[in-house]
Amino acid sequence: MTTTQTNNAPLMEVENLSVTFFTPAGAVRAVRDVSLQVQRNEVLGIVGESGCGKSTVGYAMMGYLPGTTRLGGSIRFEGQDITNISATELRKLRGNTIGMVYQDPTTSLNPVMRVGPQVEEVLRQHTRLSREQARNRTAELFESVGLAGPRRIGRRYPHELSGGQQQRGLIAMALACDPHLLIMDEPTTGLDVTTEATILDLILDLKDRVNAGIILITHNLGVVARGADRVAVMYAGHVVEQGPVRTIFKNPRHPYTAGLISCVPQPVTHEGEDHVLRNIPGSVYSAQEETKDACLFASRCPMATAQCTASAPPVVDAGDGHLSKCFYWEQVNSDVWSAAETTQSQAKDPNAAPILTVKGLHHFYGTPRRRFVFFGPIVGRPVRAVVNVDLAVKPGQTLGVVGESGSGKTTLARNVVGLIHRTSGDIKLQGEDLGPGVEDRAKGQRSAIRMVFQNPTSSLNPKLPVSHALMRPLKKFQGLKGPEARERAAALLQAVGLEPGHLDRLPGELSGGQQQRVALAATFAGKADLIVADEAVSALDVSVQAQVLNLLKQHQQEAGTSYIFISHDLGVVRYVSDDILVMYAGHVAESGPRNSVLRPPSHPYTEALLSAAPAPDPDAVPTRIRLPGTVPTLRQAFTGCFFAGRCPRKVGDICDTTPPPAQQGPDAPSHVIYCHIPAEQLKELQLQRSNGKQDEVSISA
Amino acid sequence: MVRFLVRRISLIVVTLLVVSLAIFLVTEVLPGDVASMILGQGATPSNLAAVREQLGLDRPAPARYLSWIANAAQGDLGDSYVQRRPIVDIVKGRLGNSLILAGFAFLMAVPTAILLGVWAGIKRDSLGDQVISIGSLVAISLPEFVTGVLLMVVFASTLHWLPSSSVLLPGTTPLDRPQILILPALTLTGVLLAYVMRMTRANVIEVMQSHYVRTAILKGLPMRRVIFRHVLPNALLPTISIVAMNVGWMLGGLIIVENVFSYPGIGRLLLTSIQGRDVPLLQAVALLIAATYAVSNLLADLSYSILNPRIRLS
Ligand code: SF4
Ligand code: SF4
Repeated sequence: MTTTQTNNAPLMEVENLSVTFFTPAGAVRAVRDVSLQVQRNEVLGIVGESGCGKSTVGYAMMGYLPGTTRLGGSIRFEGQDITNISATELRKLRGNTIGMVYQDPTTSLNPVMRVGPQVEEVLRQHTRLSREQARNRTAELFESVGLAGPRRIGRRYPHELSGGQQQRGLIAMALACDPHLLIMDEPTTGLDVTTEATILDLILDLKDRVNAGIILITHNLGVVARGADRVAVMYAGHVVEQGPVRTIFKNPRHPYTAGLISCVPQPVTHEGEDHVLRNIPGSVYSAQEETKDACLFASRCPMATAQCTASAPPVVDAGDGHLSKCFYWEQVNSDVWSAAETTQSQAKDPNAAPILTVKGLHHFYGTPRRRFVFFGPIVGRPVRAVVNVDLAVKPGQTLGVVGESGSGKTTLARNVVGLIHRTSGDIKLQGEDLGPGVEDRAKGQRSAIRMVFQNPTSSLNPKLPVSHALMRPLKKFQGLKGPEARERAAALLQAVGLEPGHLDRLPGELSGGQQQRVALAATFAGKADLIVADEAVSALDVSVQAQVLNLLKQHQQEAGTSYIFISHDLGVVRYVSDDILVMYAGHVAESGPRNSVLRPPSHPYTEALLSAAPAPDPDAVPTRIRLPGTVPTLRQAFTGCFFAGRCPRKVGDICDTTPPPAQQGPDAPSHVIYCHIPAEQLKELQLQRSNGKQDEVSISA
Repeated sequence: MVRFLVRRISLIVVTLLVVSLAIFLVTEVLPGDVASMILGQGATPSNLAAVREQLGLDRPAPARYLSWIANAAQGDLGDSYVQRRPIVDIVKGRLGNSLILAGFAFLMAVPTAILLGVWAGIKRDSLGDQVISIGSLVAISLPEFVTGVLLMVVFASTLHWLPSSSVLLPGTTPLDRPQILILPALTLTGVLLAYVMRMTRANVIEVMQSHYVRTAILKGLPMRRVIFRHVLPNALLPTISIVAMNVGWMLGGLIIVENVFSYPGIGRLLLTSIQGRDVPLLQAVALLIAATYAVSNLLADLSYSILNPRIRLS
């Protein structure tokens, strides 16, 4: 029975870990007090927002904390304390019994070394394999992580692989020496949605294949919900709650966890009433702050009492290994963040005359070039970014534009705003033609359309206080004078959940979420009729993202502004949009009212997107439509359907030879699908699949 | 690759043509008359005219330019006015001497610079790093004629360890008396060494912080392997271009250093030809320096692209 004994001892046991980095800017308390365990054959998800210390915990387990660091507590791996072993011992663990997968595969591979040798190197270091054996083993590893043509892949350089292939290569590297523990730091973040889905599938598949403990560090609740057996939720360097995945999601015992879960937009396939996203006010407790003898969540917690600021809550066991670091864990329920509200969908008129229409928009980058300037064969062709896009935005409504990188959605936005000049097509605002560039447009037209960027720093001048960003549009577009403008600016800041005191701060002193809210307030100040938001919430943590999304909705209800809301995240687009436009490789795949687009019949690409997004619900049944390959490059020209290269429902030659027709969906006249498969048939196929899904459930149940 | 070479080489040819034209025009307007230089003070007008005719100086400038270029393309650089022998013969020996000096300096400077740079980058902020960094700053800010004279004063005049002048007896090569190479080479090395070292250090520091070096460390590789297989190949790539850029720099330095130490190289020849109004020689030497510069740049680009898989030449 010795085996059971060894099985009971945790593979990795972290006790009261604290990590402080000493930087020129001051001490950063990345991890304050973390205790957790992982067993073999178990997936522990560590979730939290940026700055909570989750990645630091991962690197500490590898004994990798560069710079001046102070470490407290212990990290025990198979009985060895990692904080206390020699560099040689550590080297024997790294890459051997502990493997790691990183967030950004592109920068994590050596750019001047072929991918194969980068894996062989690990094998040669930790095993006695010969060069030849290592090469064969590498090919096997590549094969096992789903890289087709493993020998050929091994001879490539990293830049010759797609992001998904690079990440598979790194996973193969981590698996090379059959690790006992696999640490994955945001393994799917930064990949395209459809690639993310295939990598997540691979990780889940590994779980059953390798006899290792897995630590899955991520900010994405959907990823843990699908992948983890147990979850540790981190906040401000603490594990605030820990337990089995279903318990954590269904019955959270810490207000922060409950809040995080209700911040995430419902799964895209969700039917029925929509809930208003709850949000966690304020921003994440900064790692620069001292650890206080109090609950560090108190300033944002709706349940906080005097006790919470007087002493730190202990970790209590709520039964079944479900731990919570809250005094009032018994009182936590899903309504602590205000009762569930369904979104009051004010009757919006689906047939209202549009405020903005785009017809036949084309945008090509570059100009044709000939070999000898004036004559000779054409050597440089313009590359397509946007091809034949039609859209309409109705007053007071939101058009969501969704697509992966390379879909042309940003080019579309820039054309509408006039930052770049369209190649051809018409754009009309209130029925009047809009010139190609901002400079060609009348003053009124210019102020009517404003843009919000993904990165708020690009729209805020770092040298000028926040008040400048807000007062300038107020003076310019609303004709307000000094004190008046300042008063209005303060009111705007309050409307976006900031303090009037923030007016005199420099943008650099604010967090990313606060900056984005300032950028939004500045946009609102311009009293635009149409706001084009390009990935405006993508860089934000979920709690802050929810604040911004609600803010956008609220502003729309009050001011009747229309939005074009661009995102790669279908869940977010679904939450804010009335109409949705799905783009792929510069083409419109499908467009129409939100519910018509999201329900069958959908374009096969929309269907794949819907199935790719992991739902933040451990009971959600994953649908398995996966797209092989990558989004075509801009240079690629299409003779038939733009999606034919990856379409799982391709019907035959016609897809390769003839561009698909626009066909109307059955429910709404404005619902358009570009596909050769008749809408009726698409609907049937898709309903069949979801029924098939039901069967799977009953089998596995 | 072939297309790249063809393009680059034709580009070099065009550049050299332009340079040759510029050289020709400049020497055209150079003050002083060759014929009176050759014949001295007491020359009669008819003598002068005869010499001019003999040298072909009475022909119009475009014709002279064309025949010069045409001959040069066939490897005939004409005769020196002053020494009255084929320039090719003069230049050959001198070019060899210069290459020996430059090569010696290069071999001294580049490996040392890279070693120091890598070491300083890895041991960033240590005492050694700081000493090296400050020393290199000083070296960069001193021009060659200052370092040259300083070195000469210290090692030749005061310590008497090395000869102060690097003159060669006719018929010998610098390799017969290698000690004369040391001071000029050291002088030439200074700036190059400091510059390459600083760049190497900066690159090493940057690469050490990259994610792929983190990956390499977390593979459990020994630090030596991390540095040799992952840090250096990436950090030294940009160093190649720096070194190549410095070849041009060195050519300039060579002219000064050779004159400071009276070393019989191409740089000294350039100055002598200017002083002697030896126009064909001057033209030939200038053209040669330009050609060396262009070719070394091409070699640098080639080696960079061979070592960097992300660059495909076309
Ligand atoms: S201890 Fe208090 S402040 Fe902290 S989470 Fe619990 S109720 Fe909120
Ligand atoms: S036209 Fe063909 S390739 Fe294109 S989406 Fe429809 S089935 Fe797929």
